[in-house]
Amino acid sequence: MKFNTDRKWLERRADQEDRHFISVGGLISTLDPTCQTELESTQSMETTKTAFARLLQLARRERRLSLENLAEKADVDLAELFKIETDEAFTPNLRTVHQLALVLDLPAKKLMVLAGLLQVKDVSLQQASVRFAARSEPIGNVSPEEHAALEEYVKFLNER
Amino acid sequence: MKETIQIIDNQSGQLVDAEIFDEVALAHFIETQAEWRPVVLEAARALSKSPNQATLIPRHYHWDWTRKEAELKMLALKFYGLSCEERLQGIMKVETVARSCRLPEQQGKPLVYIDYIETAPWNIKQLMVPLGKAQQYRGVGSRLFEAAVLQSVEEDFKGRLGLHSLPGSEGFYIRECGMTPVGRDPHKQNLLWCEFTPEQARRYLAGE
Repeated sequence: MKFNTDRKWLERRADQEDRHFISVGGLISTLDPTCQTELESTQSMETTKTAFARLLQLARRERRLSLENLAEKADVDLAELFKIETDEAFTPNLRTVHQLALVLDLPAKKLMVLAGLLQVKDVSLQQASVRFAARSEPIGNVSPEEHAALEEYVKFLNER
Repeated sequence: MKETIQIIDNQSGQLVDAEIFDEVALAHFIETQAEWRPVVLEAARALSKSPNQATLIPRHYHWDWTRKEAELKMLALKFYGLSCEERLQGIMKVETVARSCRLPEQQGKPLVYIDYIETAPWNIKQLMVPLGKAQQYRGVGSRLFEAAVLQSVEEDFKGRLGLHSLPGSEGFYIRECGMTPVGRDPHKQNLLWCEFTPEQARRYLAGE
């Protein structure tokens, strides 16, 4: 094959290419349910991780524990605990989640799902997590509303 | 077939050697799945926050390439890969039998049909901008497209080429490459069928 070796030709073609998608195929928004599912599943994991961070924070504050206290009680790394509560994209390690579940008296397996360590397709868990994340704030004292939201969510996790 | 060509290193602006080849193996498909897909998904999530941009996310980024293994052995299909620094930078699938020209002046004549072009996400400006990154190489898709036109010339199809363009790519194929928009294809998600005549292909290759 005799490819064009002219630098100007290539630069012009590259400029043109940079201004567009050059795709040949179909649109993600209208086609291919498999890729839609993958995107939705990523978004749903983000929601459950938000719920996971809020749940830990509220459960900790309910027990009037500082981050240091909780890290010590659960025998987990303080920096990792801080990451869990402040960085919703962070995925903690399995042992940390297990230890936190023990100390905070939360169902370990459900906590692992929320933390993104286990994957299960559970629409009601997803819905409950969205409701909980929406009703809780990450900072300040635990308000009566947050307390009610926390109780309701923990009850839901324990029942299932 | 394996040829050394040049693409542009975006950071230095310099031309760098790359290889274009048609011996694509299953390992290349797996590489696109494992390395490209996470980057594409990350960019897709960033783009999906902007509704107008989200509709432009190409579906083909989610092709399951591993299912294409069987097609590697089909004579009427050809897969091209483009690699640089031992990393796959782009991939293309063309067909030479199943389709023919639709433009009245060359109706029914054989052509090379581009079924698929994908460049690695780190070479696509529109995907790297939302991630706050610079693209790595430029001109990868153009080189693959050039290979398809050259194949058409070599197969004695005289540069005749056809493809179904996505709405977001129509400007590229019509205005930039000079293809003729023939019409929407109800059998292919109503995408626009675009075609090169021999003269248009010649102009593309010559840069006129």
